[in-house]
Amino acid sequence: MKAEFRKLPSRMVLVCALAAAFPASQLIAETCISPYIKALSKPETVMYLWALPATPGQGEDFLAVIDVNLASATYGKILKRIPVGSKGNEAHHIGYTDDRTKLWAASLNSDRFFIFDVATDPMNPKLIKVIDNVAKLTGLSGPHTPYAIPGRILVSMASGPDGTGPGGLAEFTNEGRFIASHAATNHPYETVIKPEFNRMITSAWFPQKTWMTPMAQWDPSTWSNPNTLLVWDLKERKIVQTLVAPDAVMLAARWMLKPGAKYGYNISSAGNSIWMFKMEDDGNFSYRKAADTGPNCSPADLRQSPDDKFLYVSCFVGSEIQAWDISDPEKIRLHDTIQGVVQPNMMHVTFDGRRLYFTNSAISSIDYSPRYSMQLVQIGRDGRMKLDPNFKIDFARAPDGPARPHDMLLN
Amino acid sequence: MLRQFASVVLCLLLGSVPSLFAAGAPPEPAVSANPNLSVIGRAPDFALRDTEGRTVRLSEYRGRVVLLAFVFTSCPGVCPLITRQMSALQAGLKEAGVFGRRANMLSVTVDPETDTSKVLAEYAQKFGADPAGWRFLRETMARTRPVLKAYDEWTKLLPKGELDHPARVYLLDQKGDIREIYSLAFFNEKQALIDIQTLLAEAAPKQAEESTQSESLLRR
Repeated sequence: MKAEFRKLPSRMVLVCALAAAFPASQLIAETCISPYIKALSKPETVMYLWALPATPGQGEDFLAVIDVNLASATYGKILKRIPVGSKGNEAHHIGYTDDRTKLWAASLNSDRFFIFDVATDPMNPKLIKVIDNVAKLTGLSGPHTPYAIPGRILVSMASGPDGTGPGGLAEFTNEGRFIASHAATNHPYETVIKPEFNRMITSAWFPQKTWMTPMAQWDPSTWSNPNTLLVWDLKERKIVQTLVAPDAVMLAARWMLKPGAKYGYNISSAGNSIWMFKMEDDGNFSYRKAADTGPNCSPADLRQSPDDKFLYVSCFVGSEIQAWDISDPEKIRLHDTIQGVVQPNMMHVTFDGRRLYFTNSAISSIDYSPRYSMQLVQIGRDGRMKLDPNFKIDFARAPDGPARPHDMLLN
Repeated sequence: MLRQFASVVLCLLLGSVPSLFAAGAPPEPAVSANPNLSVIGRAPDFALRDTEGRTVRLSEYRGRVVLLAFVFTSCPGVCPLITRQMSALQAGLKEAGVFGRRANMLSVTVDPETDTSKVLAEYAQKFGADPAGWRFLRETMARTRPVLKAYDEWTKLLPKGELDHPARVYLLDQKGDIREIYSLAFFNEKQALIDIQTLLAEAAPKQAEESTQSESLLRR
């Protein structure tokens, strides 16, 4: 063995693996998706949006198909809604399987997963499976983000089966067969993986019972370690380090994309801040505040450019989108803002880093404006942002009824 | 030396070495000594032919750990890389004394129309595959298609004539269960060797269990 491994040094193998995973052309590619998914590396033609009625429970949650092909006569229009056959799910995050043939849609309140076939006819996704008994099956509740690993989906689940206490990660096959659950010490919000380091990081927010009650009744004393990030040994599915901050509600996290990049950032919604995590030479992670977003921001989502030069932060309360220059990773600085966009939430940056779509509904229990919409930001080569006046989908006056738009994926 | 040169050429062909060097050399790949290898599901049985035309049934390997890869020889990207890494893994398994005896590797072509028995045999030879424990398999497309479907694999012809397919390798335990699925792009042969040894350390299935194995494609 050793003789053969010497002939083909592991470093060489890794270089080749990374070369295959990140060919030069794919350094310009879709960001903020699992590295196991083949990233989109051409202009988008269709968007899938996971949404719920403006008045939750009065109508079914649905997957919307939106035309985002600039050359199309129906550009910027909702082509169809695919209702999921049940109400009150609280549509939230969606994720592709590793082969990009299926889309998993998670429901914050009902725990249900809806699996859509998006490969057979990408313009006409088909609901092929509903997983109903998730809390009983997994021992967890409050599914947040479906995240692809090879042949499987890993879902960050906020809480225990009754909606309280720490949550964990639930693992399923792409087809929806439950495999295993992995306990966490906080309320997992999002999962990000760097396969080459065998490391996974999960961020944290609060348990399901919290967001299912009016915001005025939220009781932070019932939350478990919302100020922590967990570092996992990916292969072992074992927590190996807990990163602690004085700020809480650690939402979106992003690894940098360059091969060998050992650092990334996450946002703290309660702390109005951006944090940097970094794997040091000894394998342990350091964790420090990278910047303040401003006292009224309440960061809701964090996105990145394909070249690791910019981060984008949506300020849910501050009603602005911020672009941060991270060319110097240790000294990030505010580069540009777009102001006056009401309660911006989820964002999605295109493969070339030149466009950023955003929606403006978070959760029905915390939205403060009914002016639901999806808009588009054009990003210049200099990283400057400009709201596109030609693209706006008004979900408050949608023909099939007002709706709250949340997470989106491009194809 | 020749192999190292070939590896360098391979990387150059893959086209991103300059950008990698610009980012600095990546660190040694990380491995885990205690992998979580939950049962993912039953491995569907199949019958395909090796490059000599002999029928090979997956169920014949019960009692052994099997690494199952879906590749095609004209693949310009990750397929030659994974086959190269499996070649290194073959050496590791031999040194551990389990190759072909307790652990086997199977490479199934997803493009049997291009990958004739002759083409596949030459490909196997090029990568030093020892048929004592590593066989390359094919069948007609009509008979290959149900196997691909059973493993949630598929092929799609891209506009430029390239063949797209899910980049996965499956690790099966001695009972015929899938215990790990690797991404071709991030496959690490050192980790795979640890995983195989971990599965081999588990108790081998009893004969009675072996007779009640997974659903078989052979009956379809």
